[in-house]
Amino acid sequence: MNAQVTPLLEISRLNGGYGAVPVLFGVDLVIHPGEIVALVGNNGAGKTTLLRAISRVITASGGMKFDGEDLLPLTPEQVFARRLVQVPEGRQLFGRMTVEENLLMGANRRGNRAAIARSFDWVYGLLPKLAERRRQLAGNMSGGEQQMCAIARALMAEPRLLMIDEMSLGLAPIIVDQLLAILDTIRKQSVAIFLVEQDVFAAFSVADRGYVMETGRIVQTGTAQELSNDESVRAAYLGAEAGA
Amino acid sequence: MRPRFVILLVAVTALLAIVPIVGSPVMVQFGISTLLFAVLAQSWNIIGGFTGYPSFGNSVFYGLGVYGTAIAMAKFSLPFGVGLVCGAILAMLCALLIGLPVLRLRGQYFAIATLGLSVAMAAVFSNIEIAGANIGLILPLTRADGMFYELSLGLLVACVLCVFWISRSRFGMGLIAIREDEHAAASMGVNTTLYKTMALVLSALFTSIAGGIHAYFITFVDPASAFDSTLNVRMVIMTVFGGPGTVLGPVVGAFVLSAVYELLANWISTAAALLFGVVIVVAVIFMPRGIADLAAGIRRQGISYLLQNIRRYRL
Repeated sequence: MNAQVTPLLEISRLNGGYGAVPVLFGVDLVIHPGEIVALVGNNGAGKTTLLRAISRVITASGGMKFDGEDLLPLTPEQVFARRLVQVPEGRQLFGRMTVEENLLMGANRRGNRAAIARSFDWVYGLLPKLAERRRQLAGNMSGGEQQMCAIARALMAEPRLLMIDEMSLGLAPIIVDQLLAILDTIRKQSVAIFLVEQDVFAAFSVADRGYVMETGRIVQTGTAQELSNDESVRAAYLGAEAGA
Repeated sequence: MRPRFVILLVAVTALLAIVPIVGSPVMVQFGISTLLFAVLAQSWNIIGGFTGYPSFGNSVFYGLGVYGTAIAMAKFSLPFGVGLVCGAILAMLCALLIGLPVLRLRGQYFAIATLGLSVAMAAVFSNIEIAGANIGLILPLTRADGMFYELSLGLLVACVLCVFWISRSRFGMGLIAIREDEHAAASMGVNTTLYKTMALVLSALFTSIAGGIHAYFITFVDPASAFDSTLNVRMVIMTVFGGPGTVLGPVVGAFVLSAVYELLANWISTAAALLFGVVIVVAVIFMPRGIADLAAGIRRQGISYLLQNIRRYRL
C-alpha cells in the first residue's frame, strides 16, 4: 500500500550477532513513515538483537538505511541523534529521578528550550497521568505508569521512528490496551512505530503490517490482518488449534 | 538559586578572602589546608558524586600535580605558574589514558583498579631519577602564606563554579543519568564513554592544581606523601559527609570535618583520631546522604527525618 513512498527504515539481508556468535541471518524488513509495524516471535528468536543492531550497539553486516542514510557506520549516539529512538525492554527508567527529570533526559540531545517546552506540552497532553505525577520518583510508580514514562521519555527526543521492545511485559491486559490506544494516537502524529512483542494479540491489534521471526530469520510477513488469520501463525502464537 | 543565597555566598567568600589580613599565621595555614581539602573533595564529587564512579585514583592526580610542579620548579627552574600547568597537563593526560580502559569497570571493581594505580604510581616515582627517586625534591622556599591562601581560595571558587555549571548543564544531566542507570543513559543517546572520561579529566584538573599549590607551600615532595591513598579516603569521607552529587555539600563537609579534627586535636591530642572516627560513624547514621540532604530533610519533615534514618538501621 505504501509502494510509492520512500521507506523510513530499510533493512536488507542483515546479518549480525554477539562477537563470533551469529544471531541474525539475512533479515529483510521495511518500515514506511507513519506505519506501525509489529515484529513477533518467541523468546530467543532474535527480536531484541535486531533492535540492538539497528541502534548500532552490536556488529552487523548487510544493508540498513534510515531515510536513505546508511546506519551501519554510525555510533549509538548518532543513531539517536537521527531521531531513531528506542524504548528499551524492562523500561530502564532512572528510578531515583522524577518523572519530569526522566523526560528531560529524553531531550538531552536537544538545545532549543522553547522546542523542549513544546515537547513537554505535547507529551503531557498525550499522557495526562504523567503530568499529575511529574514530581514523583519514576521508581515509585506502577508498572503501567513506568511504561508510559518510558514511552514519554523517548517521545521527548522527537522520534521519527519509535522502537518499543516488549511493551506489554508484566502489564495487565487493560493497561496494555490503554498503551496501544496511545500508540495509535502517536502514529497519527506522523511518528512511525516498530513494535517488538511476544504478545501477538496485542501487537496485531494496532499494527498495519507484521513480521514473524524464528531463530534469527524472518519466516513470514504480511498485513496484520493476514497474519492473524494465517493458520500457522495462529497455531504457533495465538494458541489456536491448527485448522480450527 | 535565590538571590539572597547568592549574596550570602559572596559575603562568605569575601569574609574568607580577608582572613590573611586579619587572621593569625596559624589560622592562615589551617585555612590553606582546609581550602585545598575542599577543592579535593569537590573534585572527587565530579567523578564520585555526580557520575557515581568511586575513584581511588584521585590521589594519583594529586601526586602528578605535586610532581609536575616540583620537577618544573626544582629541576628546570621554571616559574610556579608554569609548574602548575605542567602538573595539570600531566594529570589530565593520565586521567585520559587511564579513564578509557578503567571506566569500563563499575562499582567496587572500578574502585579496586584505581586503588591499584595509586600504589603503582608511588613505586614508579621512587625510581624516576628526575623526580628525585625515593629521596624526593626540594622546592625553592617562599614565605608568602597569604598568596598561597588566596590562590587556594581562588581555586576553590573556580572549582565550585565549575560544579555549579555541571549541575545545571546537559553534561551534568548526562553524568547523573550515568550514575542512575548507565544502560538507560546510553539508550537516551548519552555518549557515556566521552562523558565519564570528561568527568575524570575535570576531576584530575582541579585535584592536580591543588597538589601543585600544596607542593610549593610545603616546599618538599616525596613519593610516599605525594601518592598517599589515605588522602583519597579523606576526599571520599568529606564528600559523603557533606553530600555527594550536590554543589556545596563537599565544601561544607571539608570545612566542618577539618574544623572538628582541628578542635579535637587541640582538646585531646591523643584520642583525636578515635573521636574523629566516632563523629563520622554518627554522621553516616544520622545523615546517610550528607549535610546537604539533612538540611533539606529537616526543613521538609523536621525531627522525623533523623528518626527515619535511625529506624533504617534498626538501632
